[in-house]
Amino acid sequence: MSGMADEAYREWLAGLDAESRRRQQAFLDALAAKLGRPRVTEPPPHPFRGAPDFWKEYELSPEERIERFIANFRASGGHAFRVSGLAEAARFIADKALELGVPAVIRQDEPVLAGLGLESLLPGVEVRVWNEDPAEDWIARAAGAGMGVVLADFAVAHTASIVTLSARGKGRSVSLLPPALAAVIPAGRLFTRLGEVLSRFDETGREGLPAGVHFISGPSRSADIENDLTIGVHGPGIVYALIVDA
Amino acid sequence: MSGSETAAKTVKERAKEALRNDFLRQAVRFTTDRLRNARLQAAGEQGNWEAWRERGRQIRSHTIAHLDYYLNRFAENARANGAHVHFAESAEEAVRIVLAIAERKGARMVAKSKSMVTEELHLNRALENIGVKPVETDLGEYIVQLAGETPSHLIIPSIHKNRRQTADLLSKEAGEELPTDTPALAAFVRRRMREVFLAADIGMTGCNFAIAETGSIVVFENEGNARMVSTLPKTQITLMGMERIIPTWADLEVMATLLPRSATGQRLTVYMSGISGPRRPGDGDGPEELHIVIVDNGRSLQLGDPEFQELLNCIRCGACLNVCPVYRHIGGHAYGGTYTGPIGAVLKPAFRKNVAEWDDVADASSLCGACAEACPVKIPLHDMLVALRRRKVEAGRAKRPEALAMRAYAAVMGSAGRLKGALRLGRMAVKPIARDGFIRARIGPLAGWTRHRVFPAPAAEPFRERWTGLRLELEREPAAMDPAVRRRLEEALRRRQAEKREGGDERHGG
Repeated sequence: MSGMADEAYREWLAGLDAESRRRQQAFLDALAAKLGRPRVTEPPPHPFRGAPDFWKEYELSPEERIERFIANFRASGGHAFRVSGLAEAARFIADKALELGVPAVIRQDEPVLAGLGLESLLPGVEVRVWNEDPAEDWIARAAGAGMGVVLADFAVAHTASIVTLSARGKGRSVSLLPPALAAVIPAGRLFTRLGEVLSRFDETGREGLPAGVHFISGPSRSADIENDLTIGVHGPGIVYALIVDA
Repeated sequence: MSGSETAAKTVKERAKEALRNDFLRQAVRFTTDRLRNARLQAAGEQGNWEAWRERGRQIRSHTIAHLDYYLNRFAENARANGAHVHFAESAEEAVRIVLAIAERKGARMVAKSKSMVTEELHLNRALENIGVKPVETDLGEYIVQLAGETPSHLIIPSIHKNRRQTADLLSKEAGEELPTDTPALAAFVRRRMREVFLAADIGMTGCNFAIAETGSIVVFENEGNARMVSTLPKTQITLMGMERIIPTWADLEVMATLLPRSATGQRLTVYMSGISGPRRPGDGDGPEELHIVIVDNGRSLQLGDPEFQELLNCIRCGACLNVCPVYRHIGGHAYGGTYTGPIGAVLKPAFRKNVAEWDDVADASSLCGACAEACPVKIPLHDMLVALRRRKVEAGRAKRPEALAMRAYAAVMGSAGRLKGALRLGRMAVKPIARDGFIRARIGPLAGWTRHRVFPAPAAEPFRERWTGLRLELEREPAAMDPAVRRRLEEALRRRQAEKREGGDERHGG
């Protein structure tokens, strides 16, 4: 859009927002009327928040968490391994990249991932860092890469989920567009229950949340053609989860 | 999209059509069996399933009972995140808002991930009418879109299509003959959709849950297409039923425990994404502009209605479809609406203000209660179906013969003498057609039954006439109840009373 069209659009959008605010009051007043009471404006007591109490007490030991994650992640069609340190994780990722014959690898901009030294382990492969140069088309870079490498912000043993939060150096595309994904999970970030990670977002509050919070629990799948399981229909079909002992 | 919702045909006629389609019946039975067994296994593995269901019901009922508060909170927080929030009372308003955005943006293509609300609004047709191409990117939805049909199952939209039909549809789109094996077909869709994701001007998603306290929308999916359409296009529009709200992220754990397990038996869908506003300054992907359209379209009619308010607790898992003996035979299209199965049979009439438009979908149920038993948030669907039928009768919309029959039944049952006479008449009337204690003749009012099975002939000496003798016998030996049986019965009674005391709260949103 040209500058002037842009200006006109923004004006139109502001009008739409103003209309929405007016409409909101009538909309919510009507709901309260149907519920047969005045509008509720104070937080109502919410005695049923979150999981049942017995579940909140459920906790696995660090060893059990690793075992459970690996078993459940494999059951979902993913590949999960425990590695002794970052050096072993780096070798594993490099081996897989060579095995798959990927032309390029894209990784998040994280010091831990820089420490893997993938560039020197993969001399013939282009290794790119998400958003390191704002002038480049990073979505195209991710779409062209054969493997994405991410550092898990959290992980959950019970559901075998890798959790990634978006940020300037941590594009959502890195874990989505390449056909293969490798996630490095520091063992200390692995929790038992989903609720342990989710309740953190309540504690952080709105201001602390990134635009995208993504739970990834295996390879992309579909059973829409005669119940026949298809792997990798849109997202990565090959997913490696590497739990690194701290 | 075919406008099946306005089809003049009745449920009965559509069901007849479905029953003639052998593939459909087999496929629906096979798939629903698979999903149902997966659900039972997953619920068993999780353990304490009843406690989870009860917590799910409590959270949903609480939120719906305070919907004005939580919706307001959600809207304010979503705006603070940088999203544009819109309120639409009707389908027309929602469509108008989406079209206005698409027009202003000069959009040519919209990449859509699964959204039942957009089906409800017939949004695809509306977009096509202004020259915008909507592309369904979920594999099953894409197949259904290419066929010019509507989804026939909440979770597996293309449940009614076989491999050959799917290959034909995709081959036509590819401009070459594709092999019929799944990997080849999926690979074609993957390639084609990549172009769509990257070229689309607008990405459109549904919304499984919206978190009031942080203004976030949460989407569950397995393929990754919802992530694509909320990551790559510059503009994102999310359509959201106004009842999708939950208060906090902690509450999401309960929904994330119930929804995937009830839908497909998974511990969690492959992707669960929480989106809070458009991309942040410096982010390299994610939409630059995020619109959230909150849709009423008949939902608020259930608020304050003690019989139907819990309908808004629904989390759209499809578990009730998979256990419904009627759905399993006739499939989704026979219901003639956006939502199918038991939940569709209630949603369709309940979301319409005009009684005259009530279809006969509420009759497409055996009232066996399997739906309510499967429901992860304990919606009493069969009670609602009975209530719908009752309202239909009260509104004078029942069929005349049925009304007459009911009146005659009331007259006969209202007097012992009349009942006695009627029974004697009945015995005499069926005598000529009863053989070996059964009636097989397909005549008169019995034909609807005897076409498929036999009807037992009335006993030669009915119970009412034997009662005098039976009573004497009973009085001769005073019944001493087995103490073990008595203990069991008393225990059961105590339990039931205790449950009643605990379970009564908030049920209708107090």
